[in-house]
Amino acid sequence: MGDTEVGTGVRAELRAYIEEAFLYLHPDVELRDHDQFLELGVIDSLGFVELVEEVQTRYGIAVDALEITEENFGSLDALVAFVERRR
Amino acid sequence: MSTLSADLRRAAATAPGKEALVAGERRMTYAELDAAASALAARLHALGVERGDRVAILLPNSIEAAIAIYGALRAGAAFVPLNPTIKADKLAYVLSDCEATAIVTDDQLAALAEEASGHAPSVRHTLRAEQATDARGARSCPAASVSWPGGARSRPAPTTTAGPINVDLAAIVYTSGSTGRPKGVTLTHANMMFAAGSIVSYLGMHVHDRVLCVVPLSFDYGLYQLLMCVRVGATLVLEKGFAFPGRVLELLEREEITGLPGVPTIFQVLASAGAGAVAHDLPELRFLTNTAAALAPTTIEAIRAAFPQARLYSMYGLTECKRVSYLPPEQLDARPESVGIPIPGTEAWIEDDAGNRLPQGGVGELVVRGAHVMQGYWNDPAATAERLRPGRWPWERELMTGDLFRQDDEGYLSFVGRRDDILKSRGEKVAPKEVEAVLHQADGVRMAAVVGAPDRMLGQAIVAYVVPHDGAQLQAAVLRRHCAQHLEDYMVPSRVELREQLPTTPNGKIDRRALAEDAAATPAAR
Repeated sequence: MGDTEVGTGVRAELRAYIEEAFLYLHPDVELRDHDQFLELGVIDSLGFVELVEEVQTRYGIAVDALEITEENFGSLDALVAFVERRR
Repeated sequence: MSTLSADLRRAAATAPGKEALVAGERRMTYAELDAAASALAARLHALGVERGDRVAILLPNSIEAAIAIYGALRAGAAFVPLNPTIKADKLAYVLSDCEATAIVTDDQLAALAEEASGHAPSVRHTLRAEQATDARGARSCPAASVSWPGGARSRPAPTTTAGPINVDLAAIVYTSGSTGRPKGVTLTHANMMFAAGSIVSYLGMHVHDRVLCVVPLSFDYGLYQLLMCVRVGATLVLEKGFAFPGRVLELLEREEITGLPGVPTIFQVLASAGAGAVAHDLPELRFLTNTAAALAPTTIEAIRAAFPQARLYSMYGLTECKRVSYLPPEQLDARPESVGIPIPGTEAWIEDDAGNRLPQGGVGELVVRGAHVMQGYWNDPAATAERLRPGRWPWERELMTGDLFRQDDEGYLSFVGRRDDILKSRGEKVAPKEVEAVLHQADGVRMAAVVGAPDRMLGQAIVAYVVPHDGAQLQAAVLRRHCAQHLEDYMVPSRVELREQLPTTPNGKIDRRALAEDAAATPAAR
């Protein structure tokens, strides 16, 4: 814990979305920015489908299947880097 | 030596250096897998596990899970594969029901295993897989050696070391029952060897196959990928799940995968993710298999466009006999909705309520006979009698599937519907009663009814209708969270609808049909 970042812009938006869409099911989980969603069990395979759709619509990014990887979608850090790179 | 453990021994003797398993960066040969299974079997024996005991396996898809399965079998025990997202209450129930002697798990799931074992007095040992580490503490690769710490209260090794024979129990696979209580499907070595052999034959699997398994080994679909690969000496590439289609596409290419088993949710994701972009790089991919629910025609089209070189098999089955039927791929254009013909060496037909075989075109219950039919439900003669009935010979029993089918004039089967109210979501069976029982445990819930709604991704989405007690302030999100804490992931309702009352039928029961129509008409919230 401790290093949960508040952040601004994309990071804050994505954190808010993830809290609203996924984290409420896991009240005992404190998500840090580098935590792997899958490892923590907060987002499962269908969750990632939703997450990808959200990123596509919210930021107008066309995501190719090959890009749906842990490196791009696995954590909040990964997600922010991906969106900022592609926006 | 027709046992599952002998299959592994033969594969290791024939091609010791052949790659058996790949998981992440780790690789294991047949000789290593065989030795690891023997080592675990010796460990189980040393702890007092005896032939015929049940060994529960609580592990994600991993090299350790494969070792645990063959280790338990080599010890002469039957294995009980468990979904790693199972919660403590249900785990305790299953462990008690099958009277498991030992549970094999890993560090991450050990706390759950210990909590549940506390309520399951039969469990004497909890073994945790531990990967061998090198001098610097890094996990060695390839991890040929896995150790199994844990398991206190050692007993003298059993005096008899005679191995199992093929009429012995090999596995108990738990499946959702319409009563809401999971039922243990009992399978002998002969059952599983026969089913694996039959499937291997129609898929034409061989020693050069490399199968990518993203479906859990805890369910029979994933489990049989392992059994079939070991049977033919092929390579199984294990992934913990299907979260990242990019990862799966990368693995298909990098590992030169020849076979990909999936369920509609997986193929739908691959199709909608535009998998076609890379498909031309996959010359090795030879077959795709689908089961659990039918693929939508648009998904079939997208998958065939994305993977034009692969044959697509539509299949149907239930844990009680592993698999019933498959559609030869060349028939897919002519009968896209059919799940085909009985698997080799078996028979299946359709009957009316009076037990008369129906002519082609009629709708009735599908009945199955063959060496793949289970021995019954563990400890549950009443449930067994509902599914198994006397067969053609005094020693034979036939399986009543409980599913309604139609057969066309050339004998091809098509699924029509279920007789009970079991739902299928993400390819897994969900009993509404099991979800309702959990909802009833939540504070402030007066009534709860769970139905399925058609869903492009899930097959059926689980939708819960809840009536609060007077004055109770319920929130849908809180109820979903409650479900997530007590149910496996795939059973958690996608939506919880709060109502002041539920529709009833003329005789006062909850009108599930009306609720299902309501659920289908309401657009998915997520």
